[in-house]
Amino acid sequence: MQRNERIEREILSAMKRPGALYWIALFFCGSVFIVGMLFWGHQLKTGLGVAGISHPVAWGVYITNFVFWVGIAHSGTLISAVLFLFRAKFRTSFNRAAEAMTVFALMVAGLFPLIHLGRTWVFYYLLPYPSQRMIWPNFRSPLVWDVFAISTYLTVSLIFFYVGMIPDLAIMRRRFTGIRSRIYQVLSLGWEGRLGEWRNYEQLYLFLAAFATPLVASVHSIVSWDFAMSILPGWHTTIFAPYFVAGAIFSGTAMVITLVVPMRKVLSLEKYITVDHIESIAKILLFTSLIVTYAYIVEPALAVYGKNPFEIEAFRYRAFGDYSPLFWTMILCNSILPLTLFIKRLRRNIIFLFILSLLVNVGMWLERFVIIVSSLARDYTPYAWGTYHPSLVEVGITLGGFGLFFSAYLIFLKTLPVLSITEIKERSDGTKNHSE
Amino acid sequence: MAQKIILNNREDFVRKLKDLINGGVPADKIDAQYPYPVHEVEKILGRRPGPVRYFTLIGAVTGFAAGFGLTIYTVLSWPMITGGKPLISIPPFLLIAYILTILFGSVAAFAGFLFVSILPKIGRLFAPLPEAGNRFIITIREGNQ
Repeated sequence: MQRNERIEREILSAMKRPGALYWIALFFCGSVFIVGMLFWGHQLKTGLGVAGISHPVAWGVYITNFVFWVGIAHSGTLISAVLFLFRAKFRTSFNRAAEAMTVFALMVAGLFPLIHLGRTWVFYYLLPYPSQRMIWPNFRSPLVWDVFAISTYLTVSLIFFYVGMIPDLAIMRRRFTGIRSRIYQVLSLGWEGRLGEWRNYEQLYLFLAAFATPLVASVHSIVSWDFAMSILPGWHTTIFAPYFVAGAIFSGTAMVITLVVPMRKVLSLEKYITVDHIESIAKILLFTSLIVTYAYIVEPALAVYGKNPFEIEAFRYRAFGDYSPLFWTMILCNSILPLTLFIKRLRRNIIFLFILSLLVNVGMWLERFVIIVSSLARDYTPYAWGTYHPSLVEVGITLGGFGLFFSAYLIFLKTLPVLSITEIKERSDGTKNHSE
Repeated sequence: MAQKIILNNREDFVRKLKDLINGGVPADKIDAQYPYPVHEVEKILGRRPGPVRYFTLIGAVTGFAAGFGLTIYTVLSWPMITGGKPLISIPPFLLIAYILTILFGSVAAFAGFLFVSILPKIGRLFAPLPEAGNRFIITIREGNQ
C-alpha cells in the first residue's frame, strides 16, 4: 500500500512545475516548428518550385522525412504491443514514452506527403468517397495502400495509447486538484477499477496488442512498396519489405533511447528505468542493426548475381557516385558503430548509448535519402539523369518536422504520466514480497 | 445491505476472495475494486471471458468484407484496365481488406469495451468520486440486490 503510494508520488513528481531548462527547450523546439511552418506557407503561396525536387528526382527530402518518421513510429508499437504479447517485463519502463513517440512521429510523418503534394488542398483526391468526378482511387496503387495503412496505424496507435492510460488517468484525477483534476476525471471516463471494468479492459488490451502487432510488420512493408512496386533500378527488389521493417525498428529503437535517456535523467526516473532495462533496448538495437547490415549486403549481391547492368550500375553509383559520402556515413552509423554493442560494458554505458542513438538516427535518415535520391538520379536513360540538392525551404520544413515532434514530446512529459503507473505497481507487486 | 471488506494488499485480497468462495458465497454476489489487474480473480470467480471478443470479431469480419466490397464495387463502377491487370485484382485488394480488418476490429473492440463496461459514466465524470485509491475492496451483495 505504502509502496504503491510512493510509486504514484514519484512518477507524478515528474509532472511538477517545469524549470527554466524545460521552457528554453520548449521555446527552441516550438520556434523551429514555427519557422518550418513559415517555410511551408512560403511554398504553398509560391508553388512547389521553391523546393529542389524536379525532374528526374521528384521525390526528395519530403518523402525521406515521411519514410523516416513512419519508421520511428514502429518501435513504439513493437515495445508496447509485441513485447506485451511476449510478456517482456522491461517493456513497462518504456511503453508509455514509446507509444507517445509513435503517435507524435506518425503525426509528423502524415504531414510530409501533404507538404510534398504542393497543392496540399487537393489531398482528398486520395480518399475513397463518392464524388462528382465519378472516379475512385486506384486501389492497385501503392500510394493508396499507404493512405490506408498510415491512417489506420495512427488510429490504432491512438486508441492503444489512450486505452493504456485510462487507469492512470483515474489515478491522476485523485492526485491533482482544480481544473487539472477535472480534465483528468473526464478523460478517465469515470473509471473505478471495478471487477467488470478490469475484466473487459484486459481483454481489450490484449486484442489491441494483437491487432497492432501485424501492423508493425505491414505498415512499413507497404511504405517500402511505394518504391519496390516501381521498375526503377535500386528500388525494384523483393527484399525491400523486410529490409524496411528492420530499418524502421532499428531507427525507432534509437529514437526511444534518444528520448528516454535525457527524460530519465531530468525527471529522476533512474529507479524505474534501470540500466538493465536500457541494456535490453540496446540489444534490440544491435539485433536490428545486424538485420539491416545483412540487407545492405544482400542488395548489391542480388544485383551482381542478377547480371542486370542497370541494377549493378545503380549500386555502383550509390557507393561511388555523387552521394557516396552520405552512403558511407550511413554504413558507418548503421552497420559498423552499432557493432560496439557486442561489448557489455558499452551496452550499459548510458552516455555512449545516447551518442550512438543520435548517430543511428542520422544514419537511418541518410539511408532513406540515399535509397530514394540515388535511384531517381540515375535511371535507365543517361539523357534523363540529374542530381538533386535540397533547397533552403526543404531544409527548413525538415527541421520544422523535428521541431514539431520534440515540442509535442516535451508537452507530453508535463501533461501525462510518462510511465505506466498501473503496470509498474503490478510489476513491483510480482517481484517483491510485502514488507509493509 | 452490502458488506464491504477493505484490504491493503494483493495477497490478502486473493486469499480473502478464495475464502469467500470456499465459504459458499456465490460468485455473482461478489464485486471488487482494485488498483491494477489481478489475474487470479477470474480463475477464483470461475468467470468466462466477457463479450468484448464478439464485438472484435464482428468488427474484424465487417472490415474484411468492407475492404473487398469497397475495392470491387468501385473498380466495377468505373471499369478501366490499368497496368494490364485484371479488373478485380485480388492481391492488392487483399491489402485494403487486411488493413480495414485491423482498423474496424480495433475500433469495434474499443467501442465494445465502452459499451459493455458502460463507460463513460456521465454521473462519474463530473461528480466528486468516492476514491478507492490503492486499496482492494470486496463488496458482497446480499439478497436480490
